[in-house]
Formats: sequence, C-alpha cells, structure tokens
Amino acid sequence: MTAVTVPARSGRLHGLTWAMFRLHRSALWFWVMLVAVAAGALLWAYGPGVTAAEEVYRKLGCGQGLCGTSDTAFQRYELAATVGSGLLTVAPVLIAAWAGGSLIGRELEQGTARLAWTQSVTPVRWLAAKLAVPAALITAGTLLLTLLHRLLWSADGTLRAATGTRDWYDSVAFTANGTLATAYALLALAVGALAGLLTRRTTAGLGVGVLGLLTLTVAVSELRPRLWPTETVTGTTGYPAIGGAFVDEGALTSTGARVQDPLCIDDAQCLADHDIVGFYRDYHPSSHFWPLQLVETGIVLAVTALAVLAAFQLLRRRTT
Amino acid sequence: MTDTAIEAAALGKRFRRRGRQALDSCTFRLPTGVVCAVVGPNGAGKSTLLALAAGLTTPTEGTLTILGGTPSEARERLAYVAQDKPLHPQLTVGETLRLGRELNPRVWDAAVAERVVAGGELDPDARISTLSGGQRSRVALALALGKRPALLLLDEPMADLDPLARHQLMGMLLADAAERGTTVVMSSHVVAELEGSCDHLLLLGAGRIRLSGPLDDLLAAHTLVTGPATGDLGPHTVVESRTTGRQLTALVRPRGPVGGDWGTAEPSLEELVLSHLRSPEAPELRLDAPEEAAV
Repeated sequence: MTAVTVPARSGRLHGLTWAMFRLHRSALWFWVMLVAVAAGALLWAYGPGVTAAEEVYRKLGCGQGLCGTSDTAFQRYELAATVGSGLLTVAPVLIAAWAGGSLIGRELEQGTARLAWTQSVTPVRWLAAKLAVPAALITAGTLLLTLLHRLLWSADGTLRAATGTRDWYDSVAFTANGTLATAYALLALAVGALAGLLTRRTTAGLGVGVLGLLTLTVAVSELRPRLWPTETVTGTTGYPAIGGAFVDEGALTSTGARVQDPLCIDDAQCLADHDIVGFYRDYHPSSHFWPLQLVETGIVLAVTALAVLAAFQLLRRRTT
Repeated sequence: MTDTAIEAAALGKRFRRRGRQALDSCTFRLPTGVVCAVVGPNGAGKSTLLALAAGLTTPTEGTLTILGGTPSEARERLAYVAQDKPLHPQLTVGETLRLGRELNPRVWDAAVAERVVAGGELDPDARISTLSGGQRSRVALALALGKRPALLLLDEPMADLDPLARHQLMGMLLADAAERGTTVVMSSHVVAELEGSCDHLLLLGAGRIRLSGPLDDLLAAHTLVTGPATGDLGPHTVVESRTTGRQLTALVRPRGPVGGDWGTAEPSLEELVLSHLRSPEAPELRLDAPEEAAV
C-alpha cells in the first residue's frame, strides 16, 4: 500500500470537525450574529437602558405598579430586553428547522450523507459529529445569553416593580433566566435531527422538526405548574392575595374539602347552603424558581436523550 | 489476504416502503483484480447491489462479504461513486479534496486526487455548484481514487457524460485500476459503453443473477446459431430463438458440438445481454467458481 498519512496539523480543525465547520459555515455565522445581537441588546438594556428609564420614573415619582409604560426611555429598554429574551426564546424553533432541514434532511436528500459514509467515516460517527459540534456551540451561545439575561434581571427589579411588567414566572423570563433556554435549544437540535433522519427530505425535515419541537414544548410547558408541590394560602371571607405564580383556586367546606366556588358573592345564605367556610389559592412563590426550573430541565434533557437515542438507532438499523 | 473482492450468498433486499424485492437470492463471487460490469435494465437491482456492497444499506436476507469482511469493516478500503455524483455544492474543488483528506486521514493520497482534477483543467477555487456534469463526475472520481481503494464501486459512472469526457475518464480510471490491481465494479444499462473495458460480467434481471463469470468464458459458453426454422436444436439449452420467415436465429448454450446445417458464430456482448434480457425464463449461468475451488 502506498498510503500517505496526512499529519494532523496542530491548532487547526481536522477530520469531521473541520467538515462540520466548513459545510455549515453560514449557519455558524448566523448563530454568531444572532447571539451577538441578543447579547448586545441585553447589555444595552442592562446599562444605559435601565438607567435612563429609571431616571424618568424617579422624576415622575409614580408608585409601584402604577407607572405608565408609554415613556420613550422605558419603551427603548423594553424593546432591548424583549429582543434579547425573544431571540433566546425563538432560537429553538430556528435550531429545529435548521437541524431537520439543512443539517440532516438535505444531506440525505442530496446523497451527500452517502458521500461521507463511503469515506472512512461510519454513519454513527458522522451523526455523532453532526450533533456534538452544534450542541457545543448552541450550549455556549444560550448559556451566555442566559447569564446576560440574569444580569439584566438583577438590575431592572425596581423598573419591573414600578411598571408591573415581566414577572419571574412569565414563560419567556422563566425560560431565559435559567437552564431551560439551553435545554430547549438542545431538544430542538435532537428533535430536528431525528425529523431529518425520518423524512430524509429538506423541507419535510424542517417542517416535522419544528412541529415536533413545538408539540413537545407545549406538552412540557403544560406540566410546568405541577412539577413542584405548590404553596397554599387560605382566607375565610374571600380569596387571599398571593405573591407568585397562580396555579389553582377554589372554595373550602367545613370538612376541609376543596370544591368549586359556587359564586355566592357575599351571600351568607348561599355560602351556608354550600357549606363554604373559606377560600384557597395554590401558587408558586419565587423560591420555587430553581426547583421548577431544574425539574423541567431534567425532563427536557431526558426527552432530548431519547430523541438522540432514537436517531442513532434509526441510522444503525438502516446502515451497517 | 483474500482473493475474493465480493462474495454474495443468497443475498436479498426488500424495500419496506415499496414492498418490492429489489434483490432476490443472489449468489456470486467476484475475484480481486477484475473489472466487472453489472448490467441489467433499469430497476434490475444494480444500484441496490452496489449500495449494499458499499455498506450504505443492510441486506434483508443472506450475506455479503467484501474483501474478507463485512461492508462496514471494508469501509476504508472501498470507494463508491453514486449515480448522481453527490457533492457539496457550496464547497470549491479544492475544499472537496480537502474533505477527502479530512475524512480519510489514514489512506488519502492527495497527489492522485489532484492529478485527476488537474487532468480536467479544473480550477481548484471553482465552486462545485458552477461545474458541468462531466466536471462534477471528475471531482467525484478524484475523491474516490484519492482514497486508493482496493475495491472501487461505480454506479452508472458514465451516464450524463459526453462521449469525449466518457472516453477520457474511463481511460484514466482503467489505467489507474490496472496499475494498482484495483477491483472495479461498475453498473450500466448501456451495454455498449462497457464493451472492451471489462473482463467480468454480472447480469441482473428483476433482482436475480442471470449470468455471472469471466466475460470470455460466458461468451465462449454461448453460440449464436442460424438455420432453417424447422431445425432441431436437440440437447442444447436454448436461451432465445427467433424466426424470420423460414430462417431461425437462436442463442444457445451448446452441449457438445452443434452439428447439422447450423451456421454458428460467437455472440457479441450486446447480443448475449439482450438475448438474456428478452428471455427472462432462460436459466441462470454461473461461471464464477466458489472460493474453495479457486486455484
């Protein structure tokens, strides 16, 4: 054999990693740009954005939750914060579309996957590189944005209190403030890749990837309030105030049973007829942020692992 | 080291989607160093056979041994060029060759690949998406040859090439294969383009092996006979016979000398192939000795 060994050049990409960076260069630049825009928006909001808006409200001297949101400085801050957290929120949809379409579907449709598999690369190693390289870049990007979002969150507390906007349990803020943004982005990659392998088509892979991700996201989000035991507050004459994420409410009978509120509205006879002695509300206080966050992250990562496993199984069954 | 490039035993492949049997109990043996033509009409199973040999799909029945191991074990020692010559359109010619080097780190021979590309006067900085069909085929072949394969699998390599490019590429390919003793397996539904370039034949029809063995032996095993329509072909196996007026023309596998009034001639490759394709009922003929019997 006159095999020529190409020495691996130190400090440079080589092998499948090189191939991944070269083949998906435009996607890489798009991701870098998206992260840069979101990071810039969050940093601006954290710095001049919050300062300017707070200055306006300090001059107005409006009370907590009563300050208007029509002020220009506040709207600029709000826009920057929304762009930052919004890009982090839509990133999984873009990732699923890309993974189902461009990353996997197109390679199977155009036959370039077969080109790779008939070099000295097994299909399993090919898929591993297809998942590992984007996963590393996605994790780096989303973690950076999450940290910046938390930084902003630590600075704009008074502003949020003054205008009564953006609570910790709002879906966008909840996801952007913890590990969930990264977990959903990785789920998107896995689901997209699986969709691409299943459909073997660019457009179909893209569509199925996005639909699959949205379905899973909605399903897991539905579970969110039930992922950690709620706190309950009760009141005898009416509903008690809660300081957190509302989950459920109703009326209490003399035996302590929870029943549907008969809507008596201060009618004592009506209350007595229904044996209503009080009212309750279930909610999550802000101390439940991390337990809720981590349980949901665990579920999302478990589903991600299942999708990855299914993708490898599918590929292995089809090829040798 | 084995002297068998490909050995198939009762090989079958059924596609679940179409429910069609693409290959059905195929048994054959291909020695190393041959240039084998896989011939058959469209849908005969040629592409399926090559994809199985390249380890791109798995058989549903039987076994396939490539260079003494499984197709997956032979991955580094075989090269495969698919019919549509898939390449990444966004890469340049040079980057495509770099891809070959990066994905074949232990076997890549950059000089060979660059020579193939240079032979077509291709600009290394040209994007694949700007190349003509013939130029793309050349790059695909450069990628395959740069791997220095022991077994080269080519699925319809010359389709969509103009005669000049076909002649150039085929010449280069065969010279390289002869020099290195590469086993070449190429499929085609155009028999004429294979004549003179191969020494082994595998004829597929409806997923089954119809003929397999050294081309010269297969041709010698058949005789084209002409004679009166009333003539008796006696003990010989008749592959196909046609009568025009009072004249009968038949392709037979003679058992003993063909005597009587019969005029005899050795068939051409095209006559051999077409006769078998026109007569699906003709029995299979295997002249590739199993490995045990090989000298």
